Amino acid sequence: MNAPIGHYQYDSVDRDFLAARIDEFADQVARRIDGALTEDEFKPFRLMNGLYLQLHAYMLRVAIPYGTLDSRQMRMLAEIARTYDRDYGHFTTRQNIQFNWIRLEDTPEILRRLASVDMHAIQTSGNCIRNVTSDQFAGASADELVDPRVHAEILRQWSTLHPEFTFLPRKFKLAVSGSPEDRVAARFHDVGVIARPGPDGTLFRIFVGGGMGRTPAVGKEIFDSVREEDLLATLEAILRVYNAHGRRDNIYKARIKILVEALGIDAYREAVLAELAQMDMALYRLTPDMVAAIRARFAAPDLTAPPDATATFEADRARHPAFDRWTRSNTHPHRAPGYISVTVSLKPAGGIPGDATSSQIDGLADLADSYSFGELRITHMQNVVLAHVRQDRLFDLFQALDELGLATPNVGLVSDIIACPGLDYCALANSRSIPIAQKLSARFGDPTLQEEVGRLRINISGCINACGHHHAGHIGLLGVDKRGEEFFQITLGGRSDNNAAIGEILGPALPEDDTVDAIARIVDRYLSIRELGETFLDTLSRLGDAPFREAAYETA
Amino acid sequence: MKRPTRLGEGQKLILTANRLLDGHIVWRDAAGQWRPSITHAAQLDTDTAQTALETLDAQKEGVVGVYEVAVHPGIPPSPVSVRERIRAFGPTVHPEFATELEP
Amino acid sequence: MKRLELSTRAASTVDAVPFAELAEHPRARGVVLTSDIAWDALKPYLARLDLIVLTFPIFRDGRGFTQARALREYGRFTGEIRAEGHVLPDQANHLRRCGVDGVMLGENADDAPWHRELRRFSTVYQRAIGDVTPP
Ligand code: SF4
Repeated sequence: MNAPIGHYQYDSVDRDFLAARIDEFADQVARRIDGALTEDEFKPFRLMNGLYLQLHAYMLRVAIPYGTLDSRQMRMLAEIARTYDRDYGHFTTRQNIQFNWIRLEDTPEILRRLASVDMHAIQTSGNCIRNVTSDQFAGASADELVDPRVHAEILRQWSTLHPEFTFLPRKFKLAVSGSPEDRVAARFHDVGVIARPGPDGTLFRIFVGGGMGRTPAVGKEIFDSVREEDLLATLEAILRVYNAHGRRDNIYKARIKILVEALGIDAYREAVLAELAQMDMALYRLTPDMVAAIRARFAAPDLTAPPDATATFEADRARHPAFDRWTRSNTHPHRAPGYISVTVSLKPAGGIPGDATSSQIDGLADLADSYSFGELRITHMQNVVLAHVRQDRLFDLFQALDELGLATPNVGLVSDIIACPGLDYCALANSRSIPIAQKLSARFGDPTLQEEVGRLRINISGCINACGHHHAGHIGLLGVDKRGEEFFQITLGGRSDNNAAIGEILGPALPEDDTVDAIARIVDRYLSIRELGETFLDTLSRLGDAPFREAAYETA
Repeated sequence: MKRPTRLGEGQKLILTANRLLDGHIVWRDAAGQWRPSITHAAQLDTDTAQTALETLDAQKEGVVGVYEVAVHPGIPPSPVSVRERIRAFGPTVHPEFATELEP
Repeated sequence: MKRLELSTRAASTVDAVPFAELAEHPRARGVVLTSDIAWDALKPYLARLDLIVLTFPIFRDGRGFTQARALREYGRFTGEIRAEGHVLPDQANHLRRCGVDGVMLGENADDAPWHRELRRFSTVYQRAIGDVTPP
């Protein structure tokens, strides 16, 4: 077949590696079953292959490196959901997909089927370097400076079964962006890498020590301009300091952010520079040839559009108000004339954020073939992107999405809620996240209301592990347990863009129903006090949270 | 997992785990068998539950992560915490996946 | 205890003393380095050492990998590095590639999974100090 657009093309070396890795996992499963490995020994190994034991069953998290996959891979995900699970999958905030009802016994076979389309579950969990995330508009966005996928793939390969960094104190998440506007939440990752062009090749700005969880932290800049050839050496050095000195006595203090806080960013930088000064740089040099070899595995789409593509698109918009509205919220400017990027919302009013049935997954694969060079991306907002759509065909695509029930016009709006699986699935949860997300999205379901409210992001986590990134939500909800009852704590003012900030707690936690009403009152208050053109965050920073606290806790 | 569960008035303990091979939730009956439905779970006092926990062999019995759950006795018993009710009866957001309770 | 080979370097026969006693034993040529001690504490002694034993209190404690690699890469240590304690066959290639030469296993331990691991992969995705045949 032709090289896939959008992601790295495997060759026989990559495929042999995957086959060996699956044999290794099958060996581990067999040793677990016969008792040679205890559960405590097996657990880190199954996690490194994305296999959790959750509330109801095993859960398998499949990697979608830098969020990009092709239609053939997408169809395989549908196939896995149909054959081994309950006919649906859940797209995660780390651009992966997880299946909730998997059997341990089936897992080697599932991994082999995934490998048949060059997919895997390697390092989607565990205390190792996790699947690398990137910009969902990589290679398409009008504002992009460097396509981050090439370096994301380089980091994926470098981190795969890394001999030194597979038994870290804790998980380690990397994100790579190549755009001046941060769409990857670089400052909320253990390491965030932002690429830009320099006079002699690509330069990398590196943030370290960001993260969510119990102790949220905004990453700090450790280096402003790392040269491409030093990228791997620099990351090795950052990880060496962490692996040697990160805390191992308390899992809540084991992330790199705690070490960066404890040492201070300047001391951390000094320690990294001391490593670099001793390193055998030749061993870690990322040469132009190596980069070119990876780049050559990415096929480029032919982005020619008819000269009247934009005119046709504008005419369609003028004729169809619903299409026009959807275009306003669910599209993103493309670098090529006559093209546009589309975000397909997986957040219907009252739905489960990020869930997709196998027929929707298949349907999206078909639409990718018809409209976007057979390529799809998963976003960290738990939506799906078709990155390269010709503008004159956008209206057709919109109608096809509508038939699949996937034309919700709410991307970036109040009902585009990010929620973790919560207590309905997760063994660590305090509260259910999904039902409250469903209630909120139903409450704000009216497209006209949402558009009037404007950009407002709600994030929900079922416990302090913060998988729903509530710290970074404009409105964040955190599930807490109060004497066996589910309560929610509200935070305001979080954001993950260039001005990354952690939301601040508004007041005492509320029971679920009161929380939904309180959020509705907060939104109403914003509508009544905002000045012309102000977003929710603008109003919040102008007036502080007092008016919103008053609204939230006002008793009817 | 080691600390004994404190029981409220009239509550009992039942033992639960996940089956190693398929991960499914199971409950231990009076004969020491692991059953998929909570209906059959043996409803124990703190001492008997503790003894059972100490003497059973998870590896041999094909289960992982054995622990005790406080319940209001009855048929089926009703777990005290939301978490254990979700484990026993299925996710609240997918009524179609509710755990079938055998008679 | 039996020794499982990860590299072709011949096993050393010297005794290892705990790191804390190394200064008092000027003739000791082997040392036991626990995972909480940074490798560079050994710097002043490297020239006289033939054997460094790294201990793994639990297999998840990955500091030993960094210690081994640093001893080879920064310390240019060419003697034997040996792993002891709780290590699992699934770590064979990690240990080998970080420069560890051998692992001490219980007398009854099954070697077969270790040998399967050492033969398993024909591809690696990054360069590592232990991939270079030691001088
Ligand atoms: S935030 Fe907590 S409840 Fe939600 S998925 Fe993460 S660990 Fe589970």
